[in-house]
Amino acid sequence: MTTPILAVTDLWAGYGRAPVIRGLEVAVAPGEVAVIIGPNGHGKTTFLRAVSGLLKPSRGEVLLDGEPVQGRAPEYVSRLGLVHVPQGDGLFAEMTVEENLLMGAFPASSWRARRRALARAYELFPGVRDRARQRARTLSGGERRLTALARGLMRPSRIMLIDEPSLGLAPVAIDTVYEAIAELKASSTTILLVEENFTHVGGIADAVHIVEMGVIVRSGSFDDLSRDPTVVGTYLGSL
Amino acid sequence: MSARQRLFPSMTPARWTWVAVLVVLVAAFPLANRDQYVLTVIVTALVLLVLNTSWNFVLGVAGVWNFGQLAIYALGGYGAGILMLHTPLPPWLAVLGGGVIAAVISVLLAFPTLRLYGIYTSLLTFAFAEIVQYVIINDGSGLTGGSFGFPTVPGLYSSLSPDASMRAYYWTVLGVVVASTVSLAAVNRSHLGIAIRAVRDAPAYTAARGINPLRYRVIAFAISGFLAGIAGGLYISFNQSISPSAMGLTPMSIDVTMLVIGGLGTVFGPLIGTALLTIVQTSLVDHPGIELTILGTFLLIVVVFVPGGLVGLIARTRNRVAAWAAEDEVAAAGDEASAGTGAAPDAAVAVGEAGAAAAQDTAGEDETAEMRRRSS
Amino acid sequence: MSTTDLVGILVTTFILGSIYGLVAIGMTLIYGALRILDMSQGSMVMIGSFVGWGVLVVAGWNPFVAILLAFAATFLLGTFTQLVSVQPLMKRRHEIDFEMLTFITTFAVAIVFTNLALEIFGPQQRNVTFVISGGINVYHGVNLPYQSLAMAVVSIVLMAALGVFLARTRWGMAIRAVAQDLDAARLMGVPVGKLYPLTMGLASALAGIAGVFLGGLYFASPQAGDQPLLIALIVVIFGGLGSLPGTVYAAYAIGLIQATAEVLVGTTWALPILYAVILLVLIVRPQGLMGKPSEARL
Repeated sequence: MTTPILAVTDLWAGYGRAPVIRGLEVAVAPGEVAVIIGPNGHGKTTFLRAVSGLLKPSRGEVLLDGEPVQGRAPEYVSRLGLVHVPQGDGLFAEMTVEENLLMGAFPASSWRARRRALARAYELFPGVRDRARQRARTLSGGERRLTALARGLMRPSRIMLIDEPSLGLAPVAIDTVYEAIAELKASSTTILLVEENFTHVGGIADAVHIVEMGVIVRSGSFDDLSRDPTVVGTYLGSL
Repeated sequence: MSARQRLFPSMTPARWTWVAVLVVLVAAFPLANRDQYVLTVIVTALVLLVLNTSWNFVLGVAGVWNFGQLAIYALGGYGAGILMLHTPLPPWLAVLGGGVIAAVISVLLAFPTLRLYGIYTSLLTFAFAEIVQYVIINDGSGLTGGSFGFPTVPGLYSSLSPDASMRAYYWTVLGVVVASTVSLAAVNRSHLGIAIRAVRDAPAYTAARGINPLRYRVIAFAISGFLAGIAGGLYISFNQSISPSAMGLTPMSIDVTMLVIGGLGTVFGPLIGTALLTIVQTSLVDHPGIELTILGTFLLIVVVFVPGGLVGLIARTRNRVAAWAAEDEVAAAGDEASAGTGAAPDAAVAVGEAGAAAAQDTAGEDETAEMRRRSS
Repeated sequence: MSTTDLVGILVTTFILGSIYGLVAIGMTLIYGALRILDMSQGSMVMIGSFVGWGVLVVAGWNPFVAILLAFAATFLLGTFTQLVSVQPLMKRRHEIDFEMLTFITTFAVAIVFTNLALEIFGPQQRNVTFVISGGINVYHGVNLPYQSLAMAVVSIVLMAALGVFLARTRWGMAIRAVAQDLDAARLMGVPVGKLYPLTMGLASALAGIAGVFLGGLYFASPQAGDQPLLIALIVVIFGGLGSLPGTVYAAYAIGLIQATAEVLVGTTWALPILYAVILLVLIVRPQGLMGKPSEARL
């Protein structure tokens, strides 16, 4: 395999004295859409936070395109091209949609570069453009997710981490969000996505990893895993 | 008697001896030194220590940002003074009366603070203190004497000679210091103290366990208010007057500095802080600007680098020394044991850790376990 | 109360309110972005008033220089204060009572600045005389000095400029972002290690300029920082911690209360009345005019 965009080795992280992630290892190849599935509380969100720098791991290595970033501040890691769309979108509630998007392009110091990125984001997400002047807190759940995704596009990224995009959304909204993610995949964005809900990832996942008690216990393609009866029974419920 | 049954488990007989020696030395001091200036400084510092002990209780142990304590202290003093001048009560009872008055006012102050976050409580109590100071300064009725100060009161020992009176005050205030420190430390260890600290550290959890935060805050305010009032009563007795300058931003800054530098919430924090800063203050009494600049710098350095105050620093140093000493024991035991089985070094490590743990003054986890045990 | 009194109250409200707004708006900005109460703001006002004295009285230069120098001096000192008294605690902010400790450390810095000034300049009050003289006669006997008018106008312009800065510029938006969601802002690449000191520097600089004005209206002395600090706290709580529009409204409201109290009961009681007002606000509606109730009440 060519150098993975993201390579995580023996990662340990947690809050206080209890480690939530215990030796997690995963790699994401360029252009790949990797999905991590697992029940709540087993480390999915903690893992993404440890990768993006919001949480400092106690042990282990995170390589972004070969460069070690574990324990570095999120400002630094994001400037290296890692975009993290956090759980619950992380939008700035009192700012307008357009202001949120512009914040996504913060590292770009030229006004023109930011405007160009904005135009591009609006092109990909026309629904978001329609709400440009609305305050973020007045948007519906699905619109917020789309805005968060659009914001993730505002700066050049090597990999996009997306945390539970379907969380708290009605089924129709979930479909719209996953359509948008499929578009991102089509434009060759490398994505690492975590979900509790297995059902929607089939169309986009190149690789699926199952996390339990803070470690990856199974990996494979979506088709393989969805045919394995033990996996289906234990983790996936009914499809 | 096991550690759990003793009232002060960390106080070994050896430590009690040290404390007793210290108290005896301090008590004997005025017999050796008759310098009235030095004795005045010490008595003033001791009165301040009573106030600081009370403030430490409400600020550090109960965790309430109460910046009105000086006003309560002053109101206790004024109350005692009014009782001395206008009622036939003997001075002792007037001082106690000052304590009661201060306790009542303090309790009234407790109620609005309960529902507010930290900084808002600090502003509420501070605004209260400022209003009290203003009202007194502008009091033209003659009751408090306004900004000129309270009319002269006889105090506790006016019938004695100045020398004897000074010594009497010295021993009285020292007695109050010792009594209040010991009793507050006992309260700290008791069910009451555990509850008060639980309300400070985990308000949601304790409320869910059925502990009424209002009740314990009121109790904390009552205790600290009473003690502050006693301090005020002692102040007005010793100085035979009191004025609004006992309150205000500057004395408050100095007192808070004493508390923080000593170590908020600890038993000996107020003692160390008051003693240290009194020394600094008296040496620089002619240069208030430099004195306060140094105080401010101290405060900054302590809070940033040693948030537990000097008591915390001493405790940590002792732990490190104990752990280092225990390592030696482990190494020695390990050497002996490596001649035998391999299991011995682990036991020796356990001994070392237990030794280090025993050296700790504040056992936070002990207390949470204690609380759960008592409430189940 | 006569009409002259009423007009006088309005004029005083306009002038005092504008300057109070300038002092308090920095405090709100700092609270919004750093979640701390900066108790050194009062000493920044004091330093500004001394710069004003130095420039206008000692050197005899014009007020613009005073404003610029006060801005520069307090900007640098404010940045320094943040780096020394807040930044070291930032890393541990979740393990400690961050709000209280920064309250104490910024207060300690204020003590140091105040007493250094006391040692260097002595306790006496010094007049800060401006160059502009004369004024408009607004109504029978109510005089609005040009100098005060200029101060109020400059204050308003500066507050408006701050608003524009926050709304339209990249760094202004970054400050707002940090105030709303720190983690998300960091994920956008905002360098909070630089943003925090800059924000405090900016806020202190505004207070410094207000100090030049207050020095001109009253005087410059080392203790002259205490009252502006308390007024700033009152304004900020009244308006709602973290809300800039709330602070502006509150500044004029407090100015109005003070002006009215001065006419009705005299200057000595004006300040205690303000304290009584804030006491009432804290009991009844601690989040002030435009703050969030969840941030004030438990």
